[in-house]
Amino acid sequence: MTSELSVPALAVESLVVHFPARHGPPVRAVDGVSFSVAERETLGLVGESGCGKSTVANAVVGLVRPTRGEVRVAGTPIAGATTHTLRAIRAKAQMVFQDLATSLNPRMTVGAAIGEPLLVRGLARGRALEARVAALLSEVGLRPEHASRYPHQFSGGQRQRIVIARALALRPTLLVCDEPVSALDVSVRAQILNLFVELQQSHAMACLFVSHDLAVVRHVCDRVAVMYLGHLVELAPRDALYATPRHPYTRALLAAAPEPDPELQRAKPRVPLQGEIPSPAAPPPGCVFHTRCPMAVARCREEVPIWRPLGETMVACHRAEESPA
Amino acid sequence: MSATMAAALEVSGLTLAIGGVNVVDGVAFSVAPGEVMALVGESGCGKSITALALMQLLPGPVRRTAGRILLEGEDVTSLPERRMRQLRGRRISMIFQEPQAALDPLSPVGAQVSEASGLAGGEAREAVHRMLTEVGIADPLRRIDQYPFELSGGMCQRVMIASALIGRPAVLVADEPTTALDVTIQAQILDLLRRLAAERGTAIVLITHDMGVVADIAERVAVMYAGRIAEIGSTTAVFARPRHPYTALLLAAIPRLADVPKSRLAVIEGSVPQPAEYGPGCRFAGRCPFADAHCAAEPPPLRETEEGHSVACWHTERLA
Repeated sequence: MTSELSVPALAVESLVVHFPARHGPPVRAVDGVSFSVAERETLGLVGESGCGKSTVANAVVGLVRPTRGEVRVAGTPIAGATTHTLRAIRAKAQMVFQDLATSLNPRMTVGAAIGEPLLVRGLARGRALEARVAALLSEVGLRPEHASRYPHQFSGGQRQRIVIARALALRPTLLVCDEPVSALDVSVRAQILNLFVELQQSHAMACLFVSHDLAVVRHVCDRVAVMYLGHLVELAPRDALYATPRHPYTRALLAAAPEPDPELQRAKPRVPLQGEIPSPAAPPPGCVFHTRCPMAVARCREEVPIWRPLGETMVACHRAEESPA
Repeated sequence: MSATMAAALEVSGLTLAIGGVNVVDGVAFSVAPGEVMALVGESGCGKSITALALMQLLPGPVRRTAGRILLEGEDVTSLPERRMRQLRGRRISMIFQEPQAALDPLSPVGAQVSEASGLAGGEAREAVHRMLTEVGIADPLRRIDQYPFELSGGMCQRVMIASALIGRPAVLVADEPTTALDVTIQAQILDLLRRLAAERGTAIVLITHDMGVVADIAERVAVMYAGRIAEIGSTTAVFARPRHPYTALLLAAIPRLADVPKSRLAVIEGSVPQPAEYGPGCRFAGRCPFADAHCAAEPPPLRETEEGHSVACWHTERLA
């Protein structure tokens, strides 16, 4: 849990991001989300497509302007920050994206790509820069001589290592990863997840880890937040979330994720969630999940559930106490 | 489990080449009516090109150089395209990963399902209505006249399944049918496929990279690596007692909800070889912890280690 004394690596308060639509009401991608990530902590942000998790990640690194609310990186607010401040914050908060194909400039050597943030900020050049790049390559499990090669000469897993090396170049205090392993094959994904766990230990950095994969998130995160239709529905320490999920949506996600074990998987109770995710341009009144919730009652259709503590967990559900164990 | 007479689909010695390289090499499996058989593997293992071969829809540079594909006992590899065209949709159908891309954006979904039925007029509309209901589309009378862009991804996948099954094919080839879908929608579609296989007796060949999906729905599984079947058997046996080092490592590389968080996952060193790098021996030899000179020199044949469970490895006893 976040200590009240130290400044969290990341604080997001009542974040709202609405995108105007050409016709009709705005898309309410993120609709009042608050959480913080402590120093050295990894927070997982999970949810299905369109839930707003990537928009939160983009808002955290300043790629998307919040409609309302605040994002503070190591105590410095980024909304309304001057270009100068934003530049300083971006050195502290680095991002790793899912799409490897567009994350690296195909015409730039890997060494130039990794060294670019250092060069641009005047932190190293010449021999010193080469040495830093070589060290970064070794840190992510590549060889120094790889610096002179181009991205197309590497496999997907190696490219993700290169992207991670570049993100680490400025020694960020916060790493934001948006589906960093989703495009990778299983065997390569394991290599990157192992690297990620090593880096968590060797670099004292906080991480916001966005993913749709509950098993991956459980593997690397200390706490986990679940998003649905622009809202956080549950946030808890990892073991509490997986052992005693309090929100019916968290339970549905856990039930729907297929386990790679035929006996376990076939013994699971089959209660697939009915229906589909409503449009974020016209979210339902009351609890946004009520249209698909197996526990919904009249109150859920009318009254927005407040974000409240329940044991170690934060949850937004009128009936969280009634959750089956 | 080669119940030759009863098999809806039986593939033997299937070999596909690009240039001089066998990108699919001697693939053999059979699927019984109502059975779900999974072809699982990582990118480049040849699973999707095998699926296209079953449909006789191989892209230009790929040649079938050997092997037979028996569809309800009839070898389709020797059929002229004119005849094959009559079989597609009626005896064998295929669904794809991106349902929105596979449907015609300019045609109402009802018309697309109806086209596959071979019926016309009121009779067709009624059949389409029944089929859309069967695949779980709520309010089918309204949906019938809508266009793909008006439907969600999950709904489009149901439409694609409806148009694939309306001709009552014996075999459905499903290429990553839930990969583009969210988990809660994936669970719905897997339940639907399971129900349709059971109720209609459709044999399903499921192409996937997801071991969780295999564990959920497939009775049998063939694990493919670099164009060859590494291991094939009942899903329960292959997952509980993998006898090929690739299968064993692959299963150990997946983070599971029961693992210790942040523990080290099993790693397969290196990456999948490109077809140009295939050597004369076992194609996994370059990454295999057990590999020796024999492995690099001679490809291991697929041998039965127990009833219905076969493995292509010279060192399978080391995993026993």
